[in-house]
Amino acid sequence: MKPERSILPQHTITYVFLTLLGLFVVFPMLIAVSQSFMTNQEVNRWPPQIIPVEPTLASINAVLTQQDLRLDLWLRNSLIAATGYTAAVLLLCAPAAFAFARLKFPGNNLLFGFLLITIMIPSQVTLIPNYLLMRDLQWLDTFNALVFPGAANVFGVFLLRQFFIQVPTDLEEAAVLDGAGYFGRFWHVILPLSRNALTALGIFVFLFHYNDLFWPFIVTNSLETRTLPVGLAILNSSYAGQYRPMVLSGAVLSSIPILIVYIIFQRQIIQGITLTGMGGR
Amino acid sequence: MSANQRARLTAASRFSISLKTREILAAYTFLAPFMVFFMIFVVRAVVEAVRMSFYDWHILRPSRPYIGIENYIELINDNVWWIALQNTIVFTALTVVGTTIVALAAAVAVTRPIRGQNFFRVLLYTPSLLSVGAVGLIWVWLLNTQFGIVNYGLSFIGARPVNWLGDPGLVIPSLSLTSIWWGFGFPMLIFIAGLQGIPEQLYEAARIDGGSSTDLFWHITLPLLRPTILFVTVTGVISHFQVYGQPFIMTNGGPGRSSYSLIFYLYQIAWTAFRMGYGAAVAVCIAVIMAALTSVQFLVLSRRIEY
Repeated sequence: MKPERSILPQHTITYVFLTLLGLFVVFPMLIAVSQSFMTNQEVNRWPPQIIPVEPTLASINAVLTQQDLRLDLWLRNSLIAATGYTAAVLLLCAPAAFAFARLKFPGNNLLFGFLLITIMIPSQVTLIPNYLLMRDLQWLDTFNALVFPGAANVFGVFLLRQFFIQVPTDLEEAAVLDGAGYFGRFWHVILPLSRNALTALGIFVFLFHYNDLFWPFIVTNSLETRTLPVGLAILNSSYAGQYRPMVLSGAVLSSIPILIVYIIFQRQIIQGITLTGMGGR
Repeated sequence: MSANQRARLTAASRFSISLKTREILAAYTFLAPFMVFFMIFVVRAVVEAVRMSFYDWHILRPSRPYIGIENYIELINDNVWWIALQNTIVFTALTVVGTTIVALAAAVAVTRPIRGQNFFRVLLYTPSLLSVGAVGLIWVWLLNTQFGIVNYGLSFIGARPVNWLGDPGLVIPSLSLTSIWWGFGFPMLIFIAGLQGIPEQLYEAARIDGGSSTDLFWHITLPLLRPTILFVTVTGVISHFQVYGQPFIMTNGGPGRSSYSLIFYLYQIAWTAFRMGYGAAVAVCIAVIMAALTSVQFLVLSRRIEY
């Protein structure tokens, strides 16, 4: 057998493919950016304009100044809610995972098995009762509703337990000889050695929550308490019909913060997502 | 055994019991915060959902009579439920197949020893960071019949304008295309990790035997990647089955009910019609279907393939 494509070096094909795929990925985003700088007339034109003839900030301005759009507040809410949620998940899951990974107690395996089974129960079944609970607690329109109901993340416990089990026990034994108790072992040995896993889970749940739409949509009602994804849905329903470039500007503006974070922390984010994805196996 | 020895033993065992007890107490303390939240927001909620599904529970009506399995009987005769189920299945199948193929091809390409590997990896993951809102708004306009770029591109090959989101037969494939664009980054990363786990010697040996790159892909890469492919497809099924944002943002379930998904329908029942009892029944049925899918996942994945 001889190499079939001896005329073309293999890398050329790879580059051509990656360039096409890269264009497929980038083009929609670039079009949206470009059309954010157009007027309504220019967007509604055939053939479609790729580059604005006379770039204008009008629609970006409109998105930022309309009374019924509060991108600044929505971004702030999204950041606070996603940060709070991530902190809650880590604070709840890490100690539980430590107990499952390291401590002997009656029912350890039974309880862990039960938790694993509940992974199979999709969160949709909890939506209605949890929504009614939020209403009864008067937590609608508060950060509590965005942070707490999803904080008992079983997958997080499962993932962290996997990592904690792999931490060599001799380090903990040394700590015990130095007089460390259970909390000392957890705080001074396990946690520092699992920084990668904690970061990975943190990034994963942060991004999930930051982009979540359904739950924030049903537990927030007022303009001031919405999150970015919900705000975009509102922007769409009130402006898509009359002023398209505003909607595109909103989509672009709302994506900028996360893309900046991505440019700075690309390596950590890619590694974190990969690690978390693989951890589920 | 002397009395002395026995005394020492009892002391030792008493000491060990107290150590054990301390460990148990510590374990429960570490578990308590998680378990409190878990009991309230998962266990209680699931039990409550099942209970509610046997009641005629309207959020605006004070009386909530017990009606047995009537909600479930209504569900079986509910046309929209079956339409939504069918839409969800078609969407899931198209999206999972498309995503897996694109993700695998991308992963194979970016793991070649080429310059710019990392650049492409980072670039291709970008759409996955966007919210469904941003993705939906961008694609609604790209797919617009009158002014959309997609139809513009197709006009060069002589195609007539296509009504991507307004044609009942095309709306689900269109939402799938959007979702593939949005979501192939995550399986791509999983595939990259899987590809890096394949020992380089296997490729070297095959190359010495004269295998072409295509041979290597079909006879080494693909078989060794089978567990990863299974993982990606099965987790993909679970996540795409819960599709909600794309129809919500892009089509509002339309045209007609052609892009109703199960979760979209659940939203309509519970938060537009305020029928919490019927919504609970719908949610329970969705949960049962998904639990069945997840069990299949566990079964398939636990059957590890060794080479």
